[in-house]
Amino acid sequence: MATNPMHQFQVYRIGPEIKIAGIDLSFTNASLFMLLSAAAICGLLFLGTKEKKIIPSKFQLISEMFYNFIAKMINDTAGSKAKPYFPFIFSLFMFVLFCNMLGMLPYSFTVTSHIIVTLLMAIFIFVAVTVIGFLKHGFGYLKLFVPSGVPAMLLPLITVIEIISYLSRPVSLSVRLFANMMAGHTMLKVFGGFVISLGVLGGWLPLSFSVALTGLEILVAFLQAYVFAILTCIYLNDALNLHH
Amino acid sequence: MANLNDFKTRLKIAKKKLKNSSENTDNNRNSSSMGSAFKLSTDLVAHVAVGTIIGFILDSWFDTKPWLIIIFFFLGSIAGILNVIKTAKQMQEKE
Repeated sequence: MATNPMHQFQVYRIGPEIKIAGIDLSFTNASLFMLLSAAAICGLLFLGTKEKKIIPSKFQLISEMFYNFIAKMINDTAGSKAKPYFPFIFSLFMFVLFCNMLGMLPYSFTVTSHIIVTLLMAIFIFVAVTVIGFLKHGFGYLKLFVPSGVPAMLLPLITVIEIISYLSRPVSLSVRLFANMMAGHTMLKVFGGFVISLGVLGGWLPLSFSVALTGLEILVAFLQAYVFAILTCIYLNDALNLHH
Repeated sequence: MANLNDFKTRLKIAKKKLKNSSENTDNNRNSSSMGSAFKLSTDLVAHVAVGTIIGFILDSWFDTKPWLIIIFFFLGSIAGILNVIKTAKQMQEKE
């Protein structure tokens, strides 16, 4: 086969090499696509909020839809106490969504298919939620690891299990997004390669699969952004309203 | 006044209709259930992986080579399964 399906995930440098204190800070295609998605979000929201009409324009409609979607999600999962964290969750959702969606364009690069990007976001959320929990409840936050109504015999075991469960949050959060994006894009490329190698006679079947998979991938791209945001809300809920 | 009352009842009916239609959005429920499916599948794996990693780290700290990794592998599996049960219960309560 002519093309390597993993080639699309290669990070390469654009422009000159920048090294500060031994750390490579060069501008790469990953940085380019992060900037592009941030610019796209800013552009969309700027156009959406420029004119506030009663009968909204298309951009205003889309921005209001996103706003309502996230506001409702935060209210449903984390309650009214989580209102101050709306800007963070909104930017998180929009960033993941736009990175995923820009990655669906041909010849583009999917930032979220690299575990370092998703892991960094997940660790930031994990640390932030832990800090918020300790700030709100003090050492009472440790009660999260000691569920009530457990017999004293089982308590050490349950505590260890709860700690494992707490520590696995950033791992599952980051691996889910990364694995879904990478698997989906690899699959698309593999089926694309089949179309080329089977030629005009046999290529129609993988081509139709490819079309169907593209639709599925767009759904997954949206869903992963949604899951990422809703899990952040759930973790925030644990930190804000401690009841176990 | 009769006109106003008439309007009020009509508003009430319209609001009720709106409420019913917004609660039964199939599309929304579909996407959130697929979201929880993604959550469950990766959570199970992540718990086992994190348990094993903790066991590995503790093993190299205390020099008790194979034992803690085995124990924490099983603890991680238990944590994963318990977590799935907990999430499934929450999903059932919602319905």
